[in-house]
Amino acid sequence: MILGLDVGGTQTDTVLIDGDRILKATKIPTGDNLLLTLRTALDGILSGVEPEQIERMAFSTTLATNAIVEDRLGRTGMIISAGPGIDPACFSVGPSFHVVEGCLDHQGFEAVPLDKSSVMEAAEKIQEEGINTIGVVGKFSVRNAAHELQISDWVKGLFSHVAMGHSVSGGLNFPRRIFTTYLNASLHELHTAFSGALTHILDEKNLHGPRYLLKPDGGTIDLMRSAGSPARTAQSGPAASVMGALALDGCRGATLVLDVGGTTTDMSVVLDGMPRLNPHGVKLGLYKTLIRSIITHSLGTGGDSVVQVKTNGKMTVGPLRKGPPVAFGGAVATPTDALVTLGLLALGNKVAAKAAMEELGSALGCNAEAAAERVLQQMAETIAQSARAFVYDINAQPVYTIHQVLNEEKIVPASVLIVGGPAPHIAPYVEKALGLPCRVPPHYDVANAVGAAVARVTAQVTLQADTERGTVIIPEAGEEHKTDRRFDMDQAIAMARKTLCRQAMTIGAEDNSLETVITEKQVFNMMRGYRTVGRNIRLKMSITPGLIPQWKRSL
Amino acid sequence: MISAPRKTGLVFFPAFDWAISPEHPEREERLLYTQDQVMEEGLLDIPGIVEYRVRPAAYEDIQRAHFCVPDEAAVTTKSHLISAGGCLVAADAVLKGEVESAFALVRPPGHHAMRVVHGNRGFCNINIEAVMIEYIRTHYGIRKVAIVDTDCHHGDGTQDIYWHDPNTLFISIHQDGRTLYPGSGFPNESGGPNAQGKTVNIPLPPQTGEKGFLYALDELVMPLLEEFGPEIVINSAGQDNHFNDPITNMNFSARGYAVLNKRLKPDIAVLEGGYAIENALPYVNVGIIMAMAGLDTSFVKEPNYEKDYRPQSRDVTLNIEQLVETLKDLFLWGGLKKKPYDEGQILERKRDIFYDTDGIQERQNEKIRCCSHCAGAFSISSTASTGQHIMGVHIPMEACPACRKTALNWFQTGRKGAFKHVYLQDRDRGVYDVV
Ligand SMILES: [Zn+2]
Ligand SMILES: [Zn+2]
Ligand SMILES: [Zn+2]
Repeated sequence: MILGLDVGGTQTDTVLIDGDRILKATKIPTGDNLLLTLRTALDGILSGVEPEQIERMAFSTTLATNAIVEDRLGRTGMIISAGPGIDPACFSVGPSFHVVEGCLDHQGFEAVPLDKSSVMEAAEKIQEEGINTIGVVGKFSVRNAAHELQISDWVKGLFSHVAMGHSVSGGLNFPRRIFTTYLNASLHELHTAFSGALTHILDEKNLHGPRYLLKPDGGTIDLMRSAGSPARTAQSGPAASVMGALALDGCRGATLVLDVGGTTTDMSVVLDGMPRLNPHGVKLGLYKTLIRSIITHSLGTGGDSVVQVKTNGKMTVGPLRKGPPVAFGGAVATPTDALVTLGLLALGNKVAAKAAMEELGSALGCNAEAAAERVLQQMAETIAQSARAFVYDINAQPVYTIHQVLNEEKIVPASVLIVGGPAPHIAPYVEKALGLPCRVPPHYDVANAVGAAVARVTAQVTLQADTERGTVIIPEAGEEHKTDRRFDMDQAIAMARKTLCRQAMTIGAEDNSLETVITEKQVFNMMRGYRTVGRNIRLKMSITPGLIPQWKRSL
Repeated sequence: MISAPRKTGLVFFPAFDWAISPEHPEREERLLYTQDQVMEEGLLDIPGIVEYRVRPAAYEDIQRAHFCVPDEAAVTTKSHLISAGGCLVAADAVLKGEVESAFALVRPPGHHAMRVVHGNRGFCNINIEAVMIEYIRTHYGIRKVAIVDTDCHHGDGTQDIYWHDPNTLFISIHQDGRTLYPGSGFPNESGGPNAQGKTVNIPLPPQTGEKGFLYALDELVMPLLEEFGPEIVINSAGQDNHFNDPITNMNFSARGYAVLNKRLKPDIAVLEGGYAIENALPYVNVGIIMAMAGLDTSFVKEPNYEKDYRPQSRDVTLNIEQLVETLKDLFLWGGLKKKPYDEGQILERKRDIFYDTDGIQERQNEKIRCCSHCAGAFSISSTASTGQHIMGVHIPMEACPACRKTALNWFQTGRKGAFKHVYLQDRDRGVYDVV
């Protein structure tokens, strides 16, 4: 059996899966104490279950997300080497940010050597402030990690934890590398404590199978391995719902996935079972990062959003939420009250809900039922409008080759899959608003927990070979090898695949789910004057989000 | 956190799958390191810098600026259409008011492409600025345009296309034609009979440095722009004046380009040449994007700037001061004596044009109607070593009835002649006819 758990903003869902069957699903309110919530959820789902039967478990938590949003990050010093470009002070982050002398160019050649005395001076200042965690980041460190490694080597004795930029991602983006490294460093202590405590709870409950956390790219990572880059576990909720949609439906063709919740509607697109990934990285709180994620958009319209009628008769649904719906003791009309009024939801105080709809109706010149109908139409219309803009933006992303311009693969969703509590009730309205067939899968209300449960481990490597410099580097794996002029694409592919699989196994992948895909592949002849001096090979390979083979649901 | 004071559009199209030939300076690798630098700087994440996706230009867009022989398909590839299309995207972004200015960082370049196109000249097939300007005129009702070409090579293609147009001020700053391709661009090339003084060439001596470029800009270019009063300013932002450039002999720098851009404040900048792909372009382009966005560029420089940049010599400075003085006298203080022509007089000129890249020899015979009411109709008959023999007739925007009548007569006569093709480019009516 497989256990999946998703901690949401208001509810925590847990499921128990056996083969293709959801054996059990529970929902409890999310409390302020994350560990307590997890413990309570586990107690509930495990009653009457032999713990030995649980062969695997996965969690989508809000630990990192909340720490970032609520600014509960550990105090972290930063040592940066930059060189020419934007003033690095623009990216100052944390309480003690220092720029030291030293610079690499875009090829990874050293343009200005590191200045040890300025590095040590910075380190000592950080230490004097009582900070014992640091991040070390260099511009172009993914082309040559030598400066980061050197700084780290000089100062590691002074700190309990050093996070480095080059291992975060092979992607180029110095500011994002700074912010991602900062988050990894500043979440380290909190995350280590959390994973320790969770391990303890699971041990206590005799749950000894592999344990995973969900990442924003819809993949999982082994719980104990996640401490090296804790920022990678933030913002996993939207990914959980996409993976759930994939598990419960399959999402053939171009599918728009909507997760309608209490406060928001999250949207994403899945193309033939493959979620669209953000080419740059996810934004966590204020920080744009290099962490790969599924492209999702969160719209502030959900079942508990405030419904207002403007003086001009125009109705809005969201983006505010002011407490619970009227049917549950709240003060402001919401779509949930519309559902209760229409008898689509047999919960809460129907009389109160109807009164709220009547009040709306008086402003609109209709009765309560008609007003409720209008609310659901307007909610669906708001979602549809946002979804169209979302798809438009994905299709407007720049491309850099003639091939891509001429063979443009525009996403045109052919159908919509809706999950989340109000899914079956809102689906007919969304169908009309978008003019596309809408489906609601079974277990739509615990799709996130299912998604977490059956998502496989994902990983990515970026290989760059520069035969002029005589190096091949895979920053995510901390690999750098000498190479000769004959190094070619075939060798690059073989090397990347080997490293990728090893990386994936290290973070918990099972050897039966190592499907590798090349996501970017370029080779350039490097000329100086009229002479070929080398070859520049760029390769990205990944294990993309997908479902574990144990999930045998016949779709 | 950093954000851009001026909202700036960026159209980036490195054409990673196109080259003139594998070893040509205009090859796949050219903007690779620029892309690396732009990405690594995180420029596209800065609020206020907006990246746009390219789209290919249509043949119709090209027909406003060129006579392609025998047709567009024969002298362009997809890459040319996309490069020109990138400029159209930049123009739309600015003219729809989505951004204050935009930079089309595209390749292949275009400023050596003339009105008649038989093939590739100086790495260019299609004049991407001219295609863009005529698109702007057609779609946004703009007339007065200034082009400041800061590429190291004389923008002879752009000069040719706007030679007769009094509504276009074309200023080219370049390395002296006696020392560099294409060998033209001297002060006495100052525009056709209906557009005298609307072409201004500033041939700077080899080894001109930051000081010289900025001096010419402040003393000459800015006052000329002020006097002309354009509705829109285009910068043909070639980057081959750089001290690291392998095919030229100038002494400009990333910092210099950034300052130039900041002072010039073009509405739209378009990349032209620039072949120091590793140690100039990455820094120059970052500098230009940041300058357009109004960001502080004082940290932008080449890693070898301190080591290799030499300030301009005294000789060069004196030489430039003299040149600028002469040009000021001609173009700002009325020294250029406009030749009087009779209304309706037809002037002819014969020219030989060489297409270096494709090895084509062309002979042109051009007729222009002198006119004080409009830009004047003109016709070009052209014979090329490819065996082509064509005639192109151009009716300008807002043509006067007399010029229109003359042009239509030329066209009718041409149809009966021995030409393989006769083209009519009627800008006023938006018509392009081929017979
Ligand atoms: Zn020029
Ligand atoms: Zn040039
Ligand atoms: Zn006229």
